[in-house]
Amino acid sequence: MTVPFDAPPLSLTSPLQAEKLCVTYGRRPVLSGLDIAFPRDQVTAIVGPNGCGKSTLLSALARLHTPQAGRIALEGRDIRSYGARELARALALLPQSVTAPEGLTAAELIRFGRQPHQSWLRQWSAEDGAVVDAALAAADLQALAHRPLEAMSGGQRQRAWIAMAIAQQTPVLLLDEPTTALDLGHAIEVFELVRDLAAEGKTVVMVLHDLGNACRYADHLVAMRDGCVVAAGPPSEIVSRELVRELYGVDCTLVTDTDTGAPLLANVRRAR
Amino acid sequence: MSRANAHPAHALAPAGSWRLALGPARSGRSILLDKRACAANLLLAVALLAACVASLCLGEVSIAPRAAIAGLFGYGDGMDVFVVQQLRATRLLAGVLSGGAFALAGCLMQTLARNRLATPGIIGLDNGATAFAVASVLGVGLGIAPPAMALVGASVATAIAFGLAGGIGTQGYRFLVAGIGVGAAFDAITRLMLARSAIDAANAAYPWTVGSLNGVGALALNMLAVGLVIGLIGAAALARALGVVRFSEGVAQGLGIRVGHIRLGALVLSVGLTALAVAVAGPVGLIALIGPEVARHLSSRRGVPLMGSTLAGALLMVVADLAGRVLFSPIEIPVGLISTVVGAPVLLWILLRPGHKIGV
Repeated sequence: MTVPFDAPPLSLTSPLQAEKLCVTYGRRPVLSGLDIAFPRDQVTAIVGPNGCGKSTLLSALARLHTPQAGRIALEGRDIRSYGARELARALALLPQSVTAPEGLTAAELIRFGRQPHQSWLRQWSAEDGAVVDAALAAADLQALAHRPLEAMSGGQRQRAWIAMAIAQQTPVLLLDEPTTALDLGHAIEVFELVRDLAAEGKTVVMVLHDLGNACRYADHLVAMRDGCVVAAGPPSEIVSRELVRELYGVDCTLVTDTDTGAPLLANVRRAR
Repeated sequence: MSRANAHPAHALAPAGSWRLALGPARSGRSILLDKRACAANLLLAVALLAACVASLCLGEVSIAPRAAIAGLFGYGDGMDVFVVQQLRATRLLAGVLSGGAFALAGCLMQTLARNRLATPGIIGLDNGATAFAVASVLGVGLGIAPPAMALVGASVATAIAFGLAGGIGTQGYRFLVAGIGVGAAFDAITRLMLARSAIDAANAAYPWTVGSLNGVGALALNMLAVGLVIGLIGAAALARALGVVRFSEGVAQGLGIRVGHIRLGALVLSVGLTALAVAVAGPVGLIALIGPEVARHLSSRRGVPLMGSTLAGALLMVVADLAGRVLFSPIEIPVGLISTVVGAPVLLWILLRPGHKIGV
C-alpha cells in the first residue's frame, strides 16, 4: 500500500496509537496483533461484546498492562520511555471500578488529580487552585464541592471522578465504561461532559458497552471482537446490520436519527 | 495592585490547609499543612506529655509532679532522683518509643494493604519476631542479640506470608489470611520451645511472650530509638504517595504513583519498626490496631495520619503500662495483657460497625 505523498504524518492527526499490540493473561491471548490510532481532539468509543478485550486495550494504553509484543506511541514516543509522573501529565485514566479513601469530599478528590504536577517541596501552587476550580466548574460540581463522595448520587460521584482526571490537565483522557450503573439522566450528564471536553481540545477514548450511546456521542467508533479491531471510523460510516450481527449476534433495523445523523438501532432481536 | 496582593497566601491554600510558602508564589514551592491533622497531633502530643508526667509520678512510691520532673534532671531529693531516673524513666522511654513504633508500623501496613485489619500483629510479624527472640534467649541456634533475632524473625514471617499470598492482592485479604496462618505457626513454635526448656530459662523468656516493659535492655532501646527516627523520616518521605496508594490501584497508577515501589518501601519500614519494638516490649501488637484508629478519628481524611498514629501509639502504650503498674499494685500486669483487653473490643468494633467499609 502506498501512502499519499501529501498525507500528514499519523502522529499529527493521532496523539495515541498502538501497533501490533499483543497482550495475554496467563496463556490466553486477549489482544492479538492489534493496530489502532485515535483521532486528535475527538471522542472515540470502543465497543464490542463482553470479553472482546476492550478494557484490556484501555489498560494497556495507560500502561497498566505490559504488552507481550507491539508498541504504543503517545505523541509519537513509546509509552515505555515515559516516567511515571510524566505519563500521568500526558494521559489520564479513569478505570471502571474505583475506590477512594472514606469520607473524602469532591473538592478533596479533585485535588488528588494535581498529584503528578506536584512534589514534596511543591505541594500547592496558585495554578493548582485555579485548575481544581476549573475542573469543579467543568463537571458542574461547585455547589457540591464540600460534600463527601458517599453522600452524592451515582452521576455526581462519576462526574467528580472525571473532574479529578480533568484536573490532571492531560491532552488524552481514557474512560473505562464511565456510565455503567448510571441511569439514563445521569449517563447523559456524563456524555455531555465528555463532548464538552473534546470541544475544548482533549482527545477522549472511552470504552462503552452500549452501541446506541456510542453512535450518538462518539465521533469515531472502534468495534472490537476477539482481541482484534473489526471496524473503525465514524459511526454513520461503519455501523451496518452486518457489523451489529458480527459483534453481538443480533439482528436489527438501522435508522438514521434525523436530529443528529447518528445511526439508531431499532427492533433488535436475536439473530436466526 | 502588586503581585503579592494578587495572590494572597490565605486564598492560595485549599480549604482546611495552611500553605507554607518556601519561595515566591510563582515558583509554587510550598508545603501544605492540614489544619485538622495539626490540631490532632497537638492534642495527642499534649496528652502524651501529661501521661509521661503521670507515669513518672505514680507507682509504689508516689512523687509530686514538680519533684518528679526535677528528679528526672537529677535535682531534688536523692530517693526521688533514684526512683525517677533508675526505675521509671527508662521504662517510660521504652513505652513511648515502642508504642510509637508499633502504631506507625500499623498505619503503614494498613495503608499499603488498604485494609484496617492488616496490622503487623494480626499478620504474624509479632509472633515471628517473638519466636526468634525467644530462641535467642533460650540459647537455641545462634547467639545473636534478641533485637537482631527479632528483626530476622519478622522478616522471615513477612516473606513467608507474602510468598504464600503471592503478593498483596485485592485489599490485602490473601495476605491477611496467609499472615494469620504464619502467625499461628510461629506462636506454636514459641510455645514448643518454652515447653521443652528448663524452668529458669523459660522464666527468663516469659516476658517476651506476653509483652512487658519491665527490664528493658539498653541495646534494644538504642536500636529502637534509631529505628523510630529512621522510620519517621521514611514515612514523611512516603507520606504523599501513601495518600494516593489508598485509592484503588488503577487510580493510583494513573496519578503517576509507582504503587509497587511505595508498598515495598512502606512494608520494609513497617517490618523493621515492628521487629525493633517487639525486641523492646514483646508482642503488644494491638497498639498497631488501636493507635492508627484513634489517629484517623481525630485527623482529617485527606492524608495518612502517620505522625498522629505514632503519637497515639506512644500515648496508648504509656497509659496501658501505667494502668498495669498502678491498678493492682503491688502486683504488676504486663502491658501486653492490658492492651489486649482494650484492643479486642476495638478489633470487634472495626469488624462489626455498621455502614463502614474496612478500607483505610
